[in-house]
Amino acid sequence: MTMIVQQLVNGITQGGLYALLAISYSLVYGVMSLVNFSTGSIYMLGAVGAWLLCNYLISDFLLSLVVGFAVGFALAFILEKIAFKSIRGISRISSLICTIGFSQMLNELTALLFGKATKGMPSFFSEKAFEVVGVTISWLQLILMLAVVVVLVTLQLFVYKTKMGLAVRTVAMDNTTAGLMGINVDRTISIAFSLAGACAGIAGVAGCIYYRSVSAYMGWIPGIKSFSAAVFGGLSSMPGAILGGYLMGIIENFGVQIFSTGYRDVISFVVMIIFLLFCPAGLLGRKKTTKV
Amino acid sequence: MKKKINPRALILLLALLALLTAFPFCVSNYIIQIAVYCGIYIMLAVSLNLLVGYTGIFSMGHVAFFCIGAYTSALLATKLGIAFPLCFIAGGIGAAFIGALVGFATLRLNDIFLAFTTMGLGEVIRIIIQNASFTNGALGVAGIPMPMLAGHKMTRIEFYFMVLILVLILVYLVSRLVHSNTGRTLKMIRDDANAASSLGVNVFRYKMTIMILSCFVAGLAGSLYATFLQYINASNFSISISINIIAMVAIGGMGTISGPIIGAILLQVLPEAIRFLSNYRQLMFGIALVISIMFAPRGLVGLNWKRIPFIASVCEKLKTNNGKEI
Repeated sequence: MTMIVQQLVNGITQGGLYALLAISYSLVYGVMSLVNFSTGSIYMLGAVGAWLLCNYLISDFLLSLVVGFAVGFALAFILEKIAFKSIRGISRISSLICTIGFSQMLNELTALLFGKATKGMPSFFSEKAFEVVGVTISWLQLILMLAVVVVLVTLQLFVYKTKMGLAVRTVAMDNTTAGLMGINVDRTISIAFSLAGACAGIAGVAGCIYYRSVSAYMGWIPGIKSFSAAVFGGLSSMPGAILGGYLMGIIENFGVQIFSTGYRDVISFVVMIIFLLFCPAGLLGRKKTTKV
Repeated sequence: MKKKINPRALILLLALLALLTAFPFCVSNYIIQIAVYCGIYIMLAVSLNLLVGYTGIFSMGHVAFFCIGAYTSALLATKLGIAFPLCFIAGGIGAAFIGALVGFATLRLNDIFLAFTTMGLGEVIRIIIQNASFTNGALGVAGIPMPMLAGHKMTRIEFYFMVLILVLILVYLVSRLVHSNTGRTLKMIRDDANAASSLGVNVFRYKMTIMILSCFVAGLAGSLYATFLQYINASNFSISISINIIAMVAIGGMGTISGPIIGAILLQVLPEAIRFLSNYRQLMFGIALVISIMFAPRGLVGLNWKRIPFIASVCEKLKTNNGKEI
């Protein structure tokens, strides 16, 4: 029983990171119907930004998150302006290949400048907060969970309550019609893409603080896993992506308990494959039919 | 229907063949090794091109079939002592079998989901091989014997010729395939699967056939790789190999015969030829991918070379010097 609750707590903390990344996929997929394979790299660069801040300037938790946000936002903004805007019309396969190229480029460039070795992060709030019936919950876990929830709620408020958010949702529905209705489609896509990048950047900071390590290749696995999470919850729906992220974190932690740690990365893939085969729209996604 | 053969192309082809035959005798072992890897990667790129370029199936898990071919062949050779030709075929069949299973599960999905599912399956297969006991787990398989030829172990040069012949056969067969009726049907499926199925094409069966064929070739390439390297480890078959193969196809030119060959040779030889680049190999692949998608979406083969100012001026000069057209 204790173990189950403990795994649940760990799963929710980890699931928060996946939820942030999954929502990043979902935002981009919504407005551009593109899967941005370089999300994992943005995650990594957010973490690198936080590491640089903590090592050379000041070691501060909140400021790290801000840096993650800024790095992710700026990077995604630039990527969209220089590349994805000009390739918007081409086939989905080609644009996916392009994002793979960017991901490879960012990872390797970071490996070159930052070094290939894994570096340690300073610890924040390491003392445990409380212990209930043998379950340890640290302050770090609590604060990370809270931070993720705050970011997710803010994003939901932005998308569902503001005028800009309405524009994002309209473009996601049908960007030609949205353009005809006087919405600046280019700017809306740019903002959605940058916000998606910012989410990934924050997730990166949270990830490197939680695992206490930073490396140039840390983005690979979380990037792919959270795509599985997004598919699991429904790529076309933002609440779905959040739900998928949290469930994926929980499933993964229980899975590791049941099988062995060697199969940790297999679990999320298997969940994704099962969902793609039997329920491709995900838990909360809209069903979409293709017409000739 | 008789095809006219362009004499100039024939001469070029013969010269190329003569060069490929002669060159291993005048270079070091190391360069022969690179040439063999080139051959193996050409097989992989050509087989992936059948999927991505001709049928529109974007598989990001191609390395898995390469891996299965390598492991099937290596385990049969080391544990059961089976001769190379059988291991070679078995590698292909093993990969084709798993490919059929993967295809059965994934081919009905839309393009992006198919890409991620195949990538996920590729990782799952690699992790299982890395953790299973019958594959020696993380230790890998060592001591894979070189094939026998006329009573002695094959030398590297002989191995090179074997790979060369296999690649030539493969390229010939693939070019026959894509110019046949089947090839045209495949292109129709790539361009519009709905239209194809409304014209009575059994889209799933065609996709399945091409998937099995492509995986078979990838498995054969895996078997060659394992035999030539004599040692394999599951960690050598990571996603980045899949991405490299995709880069070769995309940079060379998707949906062409010569594109993937040129891409494979270029990406395999260039980092070796320019020494200081070899540390930045993966970085170069990334940059080349981005540039090729943004500026040459049809790859090097599809590029209109005469429109590039530098080359145009060179062409112009040659024209005036020789007084004849190029």
